[in-house]
Amino acid sequence: MEVLYHFFHRNLEELLKCIFRSLLVMFWCFEMTRFEILMPVCFSSFAISVEGLSKIIINTGQDIFIEGCDEDNPYVAKVTRLYGDGESYSHKLGFVQWFIRVSELPVNKLKLLGREPHPQEIFYYECRNCDNEVNVESILRPVKVKHLDSNDPFPDSADKDTLYVKLSWDSKVFRVVNSTVVESPAEPAPASSPPSCLKPSLPMSPSCSQSAATPRGPSRRTPANVEAESLHSATKLSASKCLSAKRRNATARTPGVRKRLELSSECLHKDFKMQPLCRTREQQGYIYISNTKSYHHFLTVSLIFLQISPGTPQTPRHATPSIPIRSLQTQQPANILEEARARLHVSSVPESLPCREQEFQDIYSFVESKIVDNTGGCMYISGVPGTGKTATVHEVIRCLQHAADMDEIPSFHFIEINGMKMTDPHQAYVQILQKLTGQKATPDHAAVLLEKRFSNLAPRKETIVLLVDELDLLWTRKQNVMYNLFEWPARRHARLVVLTIANTMDLPERIMINRVASRLGLTRMSFQPYSFKQLQEIIMSRLNKLKAFEEDALQLVSRKVAALSGDARRCLDICRRATEICEHSAADPSSTGLVGMSHVMEALNEMFSSAYITAIRCASTQEQLFLRAVITEFRRLGLEEATFQQVFVQHQALCRIEGLKPIGVSEGLAVCQRLGACRLLLLEPSHLGVLQRIRLNVSQDDIFYALKAD
Amino acid sequence: VKLTIGFTQVQQILRERFCERRLPDRLEGVEAQYKHLLELLRRTAIHGESNSVLIVGPRGAGKTTLLQCVLRDLQKEEKVQKNLLQVHLNGLLQTDDRIALKEITRQLHLENVVGDKVFGSFAENLAFLLEALKKGNRSSSCPVLFVLDEFDLFAHHKNQTLLYNLFDVSQSAQAPIAVVGVTCRLDVLELLEKRVKSRFSHRQIHLLSSLNFTQYLERVWTQLSLPDSFPDKKFAQEWNAGVKTLCEDKSVEEVLQRHFNSSKDFRSLHMLLMLCLSRVSVAKPTIKPADLLEASRMCFADTTANMLHGLSILELCLVIAMKHLNDVYEGEPFNLQMVHNEFKKFLHRKSNSMYNFEQPVVMKAFEHLQQLELIRPVDGSSAKVQREYQLMRLTLDHSQIMEALQKYPQCPTDIKQWAMSAFG
Repeated sequence: MEVLYHFFHRNLEELLKCIFRSLLVMFWCFEMTRFEILMPVCFSSFAISVEGLSKIIINTGQDIFIEGCDEDNPYVAKVTRLYGDGESYSHKLGFVQWFIRVSELPVNKLKLLGREPHPQEIFYYECRNCDNEVNVESILRPVKVKHLDSNDPFPDSADKDTLYVKLSWDSKVFRVVNSTVVESPAEPAPASSPPSCLKPSLPMSPSCSQSAATPRGPSRRTPANVEAESLHSATKLSASKCLSAKRRNATARTPGVRKRLELSSECLHKDFKMQPLCRTREQQGYIYISNTKSYHHFLTVSLIFLQISPGTPQTPRHATPSIPIRSLQTQQPANILEEARARLHVSSVPESLPCREQEFQDIYSFVESKIVDNTGGCMYISGVPGTGKTATVHEVIRCLQHAADMDEIPSFHFIEINGMKMTDPHQAYVQILQKLTGQKATPDHAAVLLEKRFSNLAPRKETIVLLVDELDLLWTRKQNVMYNLFEWPARRHARLVVLTIANTMDLPERIMINRVASRLGLTRMSFQPYSFKQLQEIIMSRLNKLKAFEEDALQLVSRKVAALSGDARRCLDICRRATEICEHSAADPSSTGLVGMSHVMEALNEMFSSAYITAIRCASTQEQLFLRAVITEFRRLGLEEATFQQVFVQHQALCRIEGLKPIGVSEGLAVCQRLGACRLLLLEPSHLGVLQRIRLNVSQDDIFYALKAD
Repeated sequence: VKLTIGFTQVQQILRERFCERRLPDRLEGVEAQYKHLLELLRRTAIHGESNSVLIVGPRGAGKTTLLQCVLRDLQKEEKVQKNLLQVHLNGLLQTDDRIALKEITRQLHLENVVGDKVFGSFAENLAFLLEALKKGNRSSSCPVLFVLDEFDLFAHHKNQTLLYNLFDVSQSAQAPIAVVGVTCRLDVLELLEKRVKSRFSHRQIHLLSSLNFTQYLERVWTQLSLPDSFPDKKFAQEWNAGVKTLCEDKSVEEVLQRHFNSSKDFRSLHMLLMLCLSRVSVAKPTIKPADLLEASRMCFADTTANMLHGLSILELCLVIAMKHLNDVYEGEPFNLQMVHNEFKKFLHRKSNSMYNFEQPVVMKAFEHLQQLELIRPVDGSSAKVQREYQLMRLTLDHSQIMEALQKYPQCPTDIKQWAMSAFG
């Protein structure tokens, strides 16, 4: 079946090429309204024509479709002014007032609408920061836009090419819109409309939609009839569609992949309810069918699909990810220590981030300037774990979001991905696309769509701020994921700000090839580990005047952590553990005192001391003897490695010295394996028996120290 | 008849104990660890506080028993009972993140599970699970307990994706989770990548028993004695008295001391007591010191030396020749030809031709030794070499050979002498 589909599509493509081999001609109607001495020159209308087909005339004030990323849902706008630029006005431009479709709205903003959006619904777009100049060549065809009062129901008309406006959208709220703003003043009335030959400016002419509504009709006709019909419908296909298809042919970058993906989506959509999308596709199908004999195959295939789709296994397609709700309420913290513990948990979000003011300011101004200027850029942030990199960026975004809500800066869209939270570097594309548009796609397809989105002129896009955490995991052999992430912001129309986070300072030099490192640029920032004063301040600000710790205790924790790693997470964890120890050590649970030095010391010991020494002390006599035998043998050989057989001889001797009964080889091996399992010894695989080699995993001094203290 | 019923019950109760089928009512010697873990998990269940902890201890130290006891006691509490979802993973079963994710999703009964089947690809499963956890919050979602048995094996998964994500959830304001890792490796933290390590709370519960011999003896006594709830009171009294006399016996104490010296873990002790228990019957109603001695002998038996008892005289001779070669060349590898020559030297000194074997027969015997893994080829010796010249090493210790010769049934004296002589 798949082969058949490939065949079908290849032929379709050839046919389309054949039709559009005739050149596209676009010319201006010589109907200048105004002639200015200086460029540009304005026009009141223009016409698009495809050679051999009818032409379309676009007037100012008319609603139009403009080519966008998604061919099935082109952008909608109203022409406000048309003008030519450059030599003999060859550069033709137009000013438009945009409308925004439901699918173009940010997914998270849809809930502001408060109701289910109608599929034909569009919104009047009021946003200052969007580019409303378009290239005339990107105009597809006119469209009908109707204004409805906000309380009116949507008419359920069969005409899928009429769009309805009720509200306006200014990237923050929906507002009711006045009808005079929307309705085009020069709505082409029948009287003033262009000659009848230009009528099919609306693509769904009655005869066309009729033939589409009875898709199986042509099968009863003779092949000759079918051909005539197909030619007929080909002319009926509005020129705009041809235009769009032609452009599609020209711009498709990886046709093989695209075709297949389209095919699969088509299969999914082939439902009983015929969407307009399906209809047009089937018309295209007829064009092809008239030329070959396999129309019946196509028909059977489509019928099979129609049959299969209801009967497919019940895969949970719309599963919502969620964890069950708890049955009992969470208990609120009852005393000071519990309250302190809740505040000291790493997960509790503080009101502000102390000690990172400078870094915060740098990132804030970087992102803000890019948003205000409508440009893009990259920034690389490095620092050891637990120094507040991700937290600072989140804080910056929160503040910017607040500023955007206050209308101080243009609004933007924030997306976050994490290299550790994906199974494969290429999943980055899928996640970005999913968070951007809510679409699901395979990595290759997502890359194509994103590439298109970031390289095409799409005027109504908000700036996108993309946070890439754990960047080093997006490394691939060709580094194409990293390359794209840093390449897109540099595109003229991308408006993408990329903030990347990783642990190592010299990551760009170490793992990136030159062309990737160069695109990342030199905007770098490194987060230093916290000093003890900063750590102390962090704890203090989290506790927020809650008196749970002694001053000295806090200082001890922060000094200790600052000396070791400067990891704020570690610091908070130790404090949390100390409150627990304090709570348990108190005799009366209701009257616990402050967390003191002793509690903190105990917590520090628990977390930092290595267990090797205790483990050696708690080992059985034979295990301790074996460790001594290993050291003796190492000294004898002058090497740090020996076979079990050699050590075992020493062990037997030591047993005799200690007055113990010598043990057998099997028992000796068992002792050795036990020490190997807790990694006091490093062993070769056990199947080697007495020939396996042994190394120590602890220093000899530690062993002596542990055994001497007995 | 009454006696028979009594014995069946004794066998049942004690076997359950020794096979670790039934959790002990009360843990001994690990009260602090028990309290720490119980409090930690209770806070997760009741307060919705996310936590992560590692339980570290040598094999057989009671790590899983501790965890199971804590969970059993937690489930008894009304507040916890319905408020804790559990996910149990084992590093030996979930050998990579793909399988582990499917298993987590299945055990949590998320919505992409139908029956027992998890739908979606690896990437989708990960995204789905993370989304689910992210949507939750501290106050309203049900806490999830993740138990990762053989924790160190999870650290070997690619990029440590699963560990990173679990620890990350436990350190961020998402659904409350508790991650409990169980491992016997003391150096487990060194296996974690630094960003994974930073997200781990560094709580470790060490189960290192500082048990002394008196406590060990007491433990043996409690393990063997019957509980007060035993139906036949008289029988229980007699049995317990028998156990008491057993524990006071000098030879028994010696045996137990030897076991204690060798290993302190309870699993090996249970093994020993199980062997004793299986020798008890209606005709022999108590455990005698001799039973314990016999059981101990079985526990300490040298398995490879026992295998030597089943060898033919020729094979034994070859082993002795190898031992001499090892003495002469200080453990250098040997081949069949060398062994055969050594053997021939011995034969040469003897006038009678009792052990005169053809080369193919010797070859066959040599191959049999290799099959028994008493000798093994040296690493890296290529297969191109003829079998007679392939280099081999002996995987037996000299003491094992001598011990086996002493016990070998009807071993010829001259062979014994040859084995004991210093050089060939």
